[in-house]
Amino acid sequence: MTERLAIDLREVMIQCFIRAVQDNVNLVVLVSDSTSTAKITPFQQMYPDRLINVGIAEQNLVGVAAGLSLGGYVAVTANAACFLVARANEQVKNDVCYSDMNVKLVGLNAGVSYGPLASTHHAIDDISIMRGLGNIIILAPSDPVETERIFNFALRHVGPVYIRMDNAKFPVLHSKDYQFELGKVDVLTCGDDISIFAIGSVVHEAYAAAQTLKADSINAEVINVSSIRPVDKKAISDSIQKTKNVITVEEHSLHGGLASLICEIIAEEGLDARIVRLGITQGHFAKAGPRGRIRAFYEIDKNGILENARKLLKKG
Amino acid sequence: MSNEFQLSPDEIVKKAKEIRKKIIKMNSYAGQGHTGADLSETDILASLFFRVLNIQKNNLNDPNRDRLILSKGHGIGGFYCTLAEAGYIDESLLLDYLQFDSALPGHPVRQKTPCIELNTGALGHGLSVGVGLALSGKMAKRTFRTYVLTGDGELQEGSIWEAAMSAAHFKLDNLIVIVDRNTLQLADRTETIMALEPLEDKWKAFGFDVQVTDGNDVTKFIDTIERLDMCNGRPHVVIARTIKGKGVSFIEDRAAWHHKIPFGDQITQAIEELE
Repeated sequence: MTERLAIDLREVMIQCFIRAVQDNVNLVVLVSDSTSTAKITPFQQMYPDRLINVGIAEQNLVGVAAGLSLGGYVAVTANAACFLVARANEQVKNDVCYSDMNVKLVGLNAGVSYGPLASTHHAIDDISIMRGLGNIIILAPSDPVETERIFNFALRHVGPVYIRMDNAKFPVLHSKDYQFELGKVDVLTCGDDISIFAIGSVVHEAYAAAQTLKADSINAEVINVSSIRPVDKKAISDSIQKTKNVITVEEHSLHGGLASLICEIIAEEGLDARIVRLGITQGHFAKAGPRGRIRAFYEIDKNGILENARKLLKKG
Repeated sequence: MSNEFQLSPDEIVKKAKEIRKKIIKMNSYAGQGHTGADLSETDILASLFFRVLNIQKNNLNDPNRDRLILSKGHGIGGFYCTLAEAGYIDESLLLDYLQFDSALPGHPVRQKTPCIELNTGALGHGLSVGVGLALSGKMAKRTFRTYVLTGDGELQEGSIWEAAMSAAHFKLDNLIVIVDRNTLQLADRTETIMALEPLEDKWKAFGFDVQVTDGNDVTKFIDTIERLDMCNGRPHVVIARTIKGKGVSFIEDRAAWHHKIPFGDQITQAIEELE
């Protein structure tokens, strides 16, 4: 395979902001001293009046965004996920979700994007926290194409949306015809032997693992659950019924995120399946260090997924 | 556009009495309620709804109308009774206060009641949202004013001061914070629990135009609001000195009445005192 061009998903996001304004979306972007985190400069240069920096004050970031939405703006907050979901949790809950404001919350550099900066900067609980709240859509793009589609959707949707973002460059996984559909899963490869569910940037690891498994004559179905709420229960359930072997992969705690979501569906539907959950051990903070090492430790990299898939299928 | 009532201070005093009677009856009927807070803020809310706010019932969707955020969400009882007195909600609805799945829950819900901008109840939220609203007004060159009514105990929340810092930074002279300064919070005096004084100095240091007035004296309160220089490039705070439970002798200035309601003979006595 030829080397594919890798793009920082945040740069794609910023282009979506610019195009939205050009498209007459009454957008305002708020940062909390997180201009570099959000790579916002191109937007700032074009629309300085549409960027608001509240300083290092995350509670105020979210509250002010809610107020701007009351004033008729589509308000987008862009700061590190760890500070958004933890520090401003009550503002997210009350000012945005409960009050049903037209605010889009972007959790930048989620998961263990900040690897060596350790647990203050990791966000391995953002999905579980957001899933605990009412009235918010939860999305996680995996590649540049999906990032563009998801932001184009979110910036034109009225109501609260959380978007989980990564801080690295990723190649394109989707064709340029890919259409994001709210509440639908994205099946990247079809297969009968095992269902691999993944979210966000580890979708690339799952996809790479599936390519290698194919050489072993194992057909993996890789499903990108980019729409976490609403979720496509039927497609997930159909895949599990077909393969009866499941692996979930997430750069997130095993509690409350993708693994929990899939287990809920298996339990509710009474599906006959074996499941291996890969993610950050429940009840633990993640190890700190180079991101690749962290992923290898929790077996959420290509090799980890591969080994677990082989082990799981050998049991049968 | 202007206020649809534009009452004189004397007429507002009469309205405040009617609102207080509604509060006593509504809370007694519901069997719960923040009676002290409801009575503390009554003269402020009556002044706002019957004179100060540029709002009209048939014009609530106008982007240029004034906005009021009840940051002290537990004062919702007084707010509902004011809305009923002003005809924004039907008076019979007050009997539904705090009932199951009620149209009038125990804290503000904007999806349920007119004139509510934000679902408050957790303290320290209203000012940030007020800053966002006022900022939207500046950005879109709209003429409305944003009022935020806070409690005083609420000023112990750090988020209030994040918001205050930004209000001055953004030069929001279209933002008016009103502090219901009754010096009591849930458990005791604010100065015993966590001292707020010198409160004027704190707001001044944060860049606010600070005014102090009597929040239970309609004439003085209205005069203070109407004299604000709305083009001075600074956000405004009106520290409105009030008495918690104002108007009913056995409720006034007692921490125990934060979340208590009158019953039996107390109801009759309270209503008599308010006649």
